Amino acid sequence: MAVGKDPARVDAVDKVTGLALYPADRVPDNALHAVVVFTNQPHARLVSIDLSKVVASPGVVTVVTAADVPVNEYGLTLFDQPVFIGLNDTGRSSVPCDISRWEADHLAVVVAESLSEARRASALIDTEWEPLPMASDVASAKTDEVLVHPGSSTNTYHTLQIRKGDAAQGMEAADIVIEGTYELPHQEHAYLQVEAATAWIDEQDRVTVETSGQWVHEDREQIAHALALDEEEVRVRYAAIGGAFGGKEDMSLQIVMAVTAHKLHALGINRPVHCGWSREESIVGHHKRHRATVTARLGSTSDGVITAVEADVWLDAGAYNYTSNKVLGNLHLSVAGAYNVPNARIDSRAIYTHSVPGGAFRGFGGPQGAFVAESQMNKLASKLGMDPMELRQRNALTDLSDGITQSGLPEGVGVTRVIDACVERVPPSEDLPNHPPFAPIASLPAETTQLRQGRGYAVGMKNVGFSFGFPEACEADVVFHGDVDDERPSRVELFHSAAEVGQGVHTALTQMVADAVGLDFECVEGSFSDTSTGGDSGSASASRLTFMAGNSVLGAVEEAEKTWADGARPAAGHFRYKPPATEALDPVTGEGQPNFCYGYMAQAVELTVDIGTGHIRVDRVVSVHDVGRAIHPQMLRGQIEGAIAQAHGYTLSEQLVVENGRIQNPRLSQYLIPGIGDVPGQVDCVILEGADPLGPWGARGVSEMPYITYAPAVTAALHDATGVWINKFPLTPSLVLEHLASVDS
Amino acid sequence: MKYVAPSSVEEATSLLSSSPSAQVFAGATDVVPQLRSGRTAPEVLVDLKKIKELVEVNSDGDKWTVGAATPTAYLTEDESFSHEFPGLSEAAGLIGSDQIQNRSSLGGNLCNASPAADSVPAMVVNGVRAVVAGPNGTRVLDVSEVVTGPGQTTLDDDEFIVEFEIDKMPNRSGDAYLRMTPRTEMDIAVVGAGARVTLADDGSIEQAVLALGAVAPTVVRIPDAEQALLGSTADEETLNAVAAAASAACNPIDDKRGTVEYRKQVAGVLAKRAVVIAIERAEQRNGSN
Repeated sequence: MAVGKDPARVDAVDKVTGLALYPADRVPDNALHAVVVFTNQPHARLVSIDLSKVVASPGVVTVVTAADVPVNEYGLTLFDQPVFIGLNDTGRSSVPCDISRWEADHLAVVVAESLSEARRASALIDTEWEPLPMASDVASAKTDEVLVHPGSSTNTYHTLQIRKGDAAQGMEAADIVIEGTYELPHQEHAYLQVEAATAWIDEQDRVTVETSGQWVHEDREQIAHALALDEEEVRVRYAAIGGAFGGKEDMSLQIVMAVTAHKLHALGINRPVHCGWSREESIVGHHKRHRATVTARLGSTSDGVITAVEADVWLDAGAYNYTSNKVLGNLHLSVAGAYNVPNARIDSRAIYTHSVPGGAFRGFGGPQGAFVAESQMNKLASKLGMDPMELRQRNALTDLSDGITQSGLPEGVGVTRVIDACVERVPPSEDLPNHPPFAPIASLPAETTQLRQGRGYAVGMKNVGFSFGFPEACEADVVFHGDVDDERPSRVELFHSAAEVGQGVHTALTQMVADAVGLDFECVEGSFSDTSTGGDSGSASASRLTFMAGNSVLGAVEEAEKTWADGARPAAGHFRYKPPATEALDPVTGEGQPNFCYGYMAQAVELTVDIGTGHIRVDRVVSVHDVGRAIHPQMLRGQIEGAIAQAHGYTLSEQLVVENGRIQNPRLSQYLIPGIGDVPGQVDCVILEGADPLGPWGARGVSEMPYITYAPAVTAALHDATGVWINKFPLTPSLVLEHLASVDS
Repeated sequence: MKYVAPSSVEEATSLLSSSPSAQVFAGATDVVPQLRSGRTAPEVLVDLKKIKELVEVNSDGDKWTVGAATPTAYLTEDESFSHEFPGLSEAAGLIGSDQIQNRSSLGGNLCNASPAADSVPAMVVNGVRAVVAGPNGTRVLDVSEVVTGPGQTTLDDDEFIVEFEIDKMPNRSGDAYLRMTPRTEMDIAVVGAGARVTLADDGSIEQAVLALGAVAPTVVRIPDAEQALLGSTADEETLNAVAAAASAACNPIDDKRGTVEYRKQVAGVLAKRAVVIAIERAEQRNGSN
């Protein structure tokens, strides 16, 4: 059996020795070099553009603009963004393309013999802009005085609501009502490998882009749409991917580099063209985790039974939708937590602003929702003087619950299971262990009189797979090899498009195929992430690949077994797995079945805070996960520890400053991701295996789950240590001191 | 851009005198990012690390001399130096990261003239002197006289620091440096506080020097705090006066790392803590070592 074991990752040796090649490493010798020019205009109309100096600049081969894009629009779920900003008579587009709505809207691609020539020339574009009034945040956009997109009367372009029972009556019946307004911050993905791509026309005349992303087929679809080509005329493949976290789910270089290769070909220049972004270009040029404001009320009886939840959610979508409508849905579902709520009124809105677009990022709205739901629960427990986990257990969703969308939950609800396991490991009644005192400088004694310690909990659930009726499927192909007389195949090839973003999916799929066929791990050869060889896998997102791709390879193996039994050599099997259908929610009541699978988690966090400086150290995290089945336990622990490190930055130090639609700190010296000295000193992973009846080998998904509950567990621990609730983060030392001071006075 | 690596102080000064757009560097940990961002674009880059006396650490009976381009890692690794000047050694050990400290130097940290440079408050409280070479020979400046504002120094374009002179730590004396950064390493001080004290035989404070970094355009001394400490035993009341004086001495900026209010408050907290550590160290340094 390979499943449940820890074989070495299929990509381990290449990645630790440096042999693995990422898109920026794969620059062909004869490549031309491209620079993408951003408009640098958060809201302005392009009046004129003069490229004569650029074209005349040494080494310049061509300049690509809006005029070169047959269909000048894109968007993963809504076509609301021009590929290039251009004068208003260029390109067929559903969205006026002469207006820049984001500082990183694309103006042109300058192609030259060398990168330095391309950079020098790109500074010579002569443009005239008419500045337009700004609606740079939710507060200004929601007045609709300035509209981000024309043709609509409001910036509030996507709304969702839940009406369950009678929320007003539920609040009336409550003995205690907890009320709070929560400010959720942006977060930058900060993947190690920034965006890079090479494009060319391949030997079958396909416009080919090699890059790193999360879904080759979606990239292909978007490119084909913009170039007005059939999808078969476009090929996308991925080199090694140095992290994605949702930040590569949307388009960055894919379309513009395809358009560039297409134009070069039309000019008779058949050379590959390469572009790689700098860190600054990456931070300015791609979407962020959404900032949001949520006002919530939680009603409870005096013995801790929830009577009602009310919430108002404002999600800052930024200048374009990206996946904001979907993220909003997830936030909307998670804002009431993993609890039985008899009465609810939840109104959620996504609002366009002249600011950096919000988009996919590990958790996909879940972290924002959980911060609200779990902060409310922690405050309620504190107010009631009740054990916070006992309060949760009392209200936990079960297989019998109707859920916030009144449709029941997919079988195997694990909320009580993760709470029990977390309490067993970290009993709330038990004193804090003696974590060694900390000083910011390790060689110096700590100022122990100013250290306070505390512990906090949070519990949550996160969907696995696409939601709300979005078409969900995953394809796999396998080929069994062996002689005609062989009873069993000796070797199996797997063709799959699942993106290896670092999570280990290629290794997990190899294990699954080995197990399904009954072969050793080493006898399976995978070929991955190339639209010319693999079927559509869907994206590496929504914690879905273990579940979806696992089921797809199981199906493909079953198909191949049939042809093998019929005597075919080699014996091929293709399968397209479709999970149970999900539904969009009822526009009035929010009723419906939005998801087919969930993962469940509970966390306990113990921290020390220096009340003199406001500095927080997280001493220990206990992270409990019902994963259904651990396919590769070592990689699973890696996912948990990695998610916690990333959530730690979100919660404590990462502060993206966006003023008037411009990112002020697009550098890792000013945007502080945690270092090894900052992340929690101890992470205990507790793995539960409550099988999902539909999951391959019972597996659910886990990649987002440890992230989601971290921030509210930290703020609860800070409250335990200091008596202060903080409704926003990152919990920078200054923010912490500011709040401590407000309590003192 | 041309790279040159002179092997003597004379060669370096004559190079600088003859190239109006020349930039000296030691470890280049500040210069390289400045070049990449386009903030500086010198015609000639002069590498000082090949000059022997700039990368040496020596100690005679009375003082230490530390070459201006010596990697700060030497100061943290040298047991005898770090035993004598634990505060200065720890300050040097806070610059960048372990990797950076194999390149970074006291000379570079000072002449880059960042208000947040970690080694500077620690040098100031220890009365460190800079030996400056120029076309007309050398001159000696107190470290506190070198920087006049962010990116600005009193050195002429054709001058550079050869070495630092540090008088031996007297008996019953100790130093300390503390800084606050949101991140524990690879970060830039929001507030830095250096202290050095000398105790009288009765345990009271005979001398005290306090300096703050990152709270004003240059490192600032805190005369009121020093005054308050003299003759005292650093009781709670005195320490609170030190903290208040430190907060009052700040003239900070608001930036992404910390607000004005935060910097003022934490300057007081760190100054107080640095004094306490310096006193503990002074008490342990009673002549036998």
